[in-house]
Amino acid sequence: MLIDTNAYLGHWATRQLRYATPDGLLALMDRAGIDLACVSSAAAVLYKDCHRGNEELAEAVAGHRDRLIPFAVLNPAYAGWRRDLAWCRDVLGARGLRLYPAYHAYGLTDPRCTELVAAAAEANLLVSIPVRQVDHRQRHWLVDASDVPLSDIAALVAAHPDARFIVLEGAGYLGSDLVRRAGELPANYWLEISRPDAVYTDEIGGLLRTLGAERLVFGSGIPFKYPEPATLRLEVMRASEAEKDLIRSGNIGAMLGL
Amino acid sequence: MLISAHEHVTWPASGRADDPDWAHDEALIAAADRLGIATMACSCLAPRPSTPDTFRAANDRTAAAIARFPGRVWGYAYVNPGYAREAVAEIDRCLALDDMVGVKLYNEYKATDPAVRPVVEHCAARGLPILWHQGHCTDPLPDQPSISDAADLAWLANTCPELKLILAHIGGGGDWEWTIKQAAEAPTLYADLSGSVVDEGMVEMAVEYLGADRLLFACDGSMCAGVGKLRGAQITPEDRGKIESETFLRLLGRSAPC
Repeated sequence: MLIDTNAYLGHWATRQLRYATPDGLLALMDRAGIDLACVSSAAAVLYKDCHRGNEELAEAVAGHRDRLIPFAVLNPAYAGWRRDLAWCRDVLGARGLRLYPAYHAYGLTDPRCTELVAAAAEANLLVSIPVRQVDHRQRHWLVDASDVPLSDIAALVAAHPDARFIVLEGAGYLGSDLVRRAGELPANYWLEISRPDAVYTDEIGGLLRTLGAERLVFGSGIPFKYPEPATLRLEVMRASEAEKDLIRSGNIGAMLGL
Repeated sequence: MLISAHEHVTWPASGRADDPDWAHDEALIAAADRLGIATMACSCLAPRPSTPDTFRAANDRTAAAIARFPGRVWGYAYVNPGYAREAVAEIDRCLALDDMVGVKLYNEYKATDPAVRPVVEHCAARGLPILWHQGHCTDPLPDQPSISDAADLAWLANTCPELKLILAHIGGGGDWEWTIKQAAEAPTLYADLSGSVVDEGMVEMAVEYLGADRLLFACDGSMCAGVGKLRGAQITPEDRGKIESETFLRLLGRSAPC
């Protein structure tokens, strides 16, 4: 079983995504051997009212809920997020959130974000935070969203021991507070590993030795990215089959109650 | 067979070509072993801007790597073209050595700068390929004020069509769609696919605009990214074979390594 914690549906405003439809994404998943994927709306990130993207996602995953697990994009700095959160939990059936503090212009320690994270924990929703959606070096000239600092995420997870977090699209974890201060932080966060390498620089090897396989999850970034670099990392990483099983599906499966 | 057209031997912290520490380079070879990369064309980059003393030392390190890892490492002679006389002499010194295959230029001068002309014309006359560092980022790179981009390299290729010119790392960070379209303006320009960016569709677009006869597999240290994006590319077996090694071997006029 392979579960992708880092997948998307829908258009992205600044670059064509060739597999952005449900059928397209499922074809990409089949090609890469991905059984299930946690998906959110790509379009929602740049909608002013991101909840419209959640509504589009509900239509997109209908009929595919056996493989596509909806996650909601919410913006605590925008009007009506409490109502939107309730809808995403009750109607969309979201199992988690995706937060975009850089795109939505708020800080992770902003009181509005604190309230949203507390509400997510109360609703038993995972909170995932993409460090980036696009490599900043190739950003659209009208969209300037820097990477979310890992130190900000460390502060957030420390402030919310009852919430559960997944850090997506991160790299350089080993030098960050998420690893260096791991002993002081609650064990309430998991790291997705589509960017760290599994050979040569071998950051994944370092993560296995420090945090352990229990805190790592598979993700690919489809359809923004090819899935094969991520599956190749799984293939060549120096880990036992038991450790790989945790990364493939064991950890996220337990979080989602699958 | 995978042959990487763009990798690096590590510049030793001591700055000495005979430094006994080969740990990073041994890790690179181990990564190649795990990923099925037969041979890697490597340069060693001294701190920039380099001087004749430091680029000679860097090339001595590359030569030592070729000797240490026979058949696995080919070499590029790295020079600073601003030292025209010394650079040309260094190119000739290096290319007399076994398994030195070309020249690496970095970011000391733009490809449009008249200062590079002696080195460019020397390489063109000798039939030596130049692998040229480049990037087209949305925001200027303060530490690389003279970095070239695909427009600079296309201009150079069109003004010196007999030159075997390789645009480095389409996926090295920057607007790869712009880079591919701009590179297509120069019919003699080659490009390597290396870099950490694994955006879906990158390889297919490069094949569409440049053709596999002008594209080279490479990682530039992003090992799983380099192999994974090519593995994921939806291209014909013929084009895959060209990118994996055939185009590079033809460009170099060499046979596949034993």
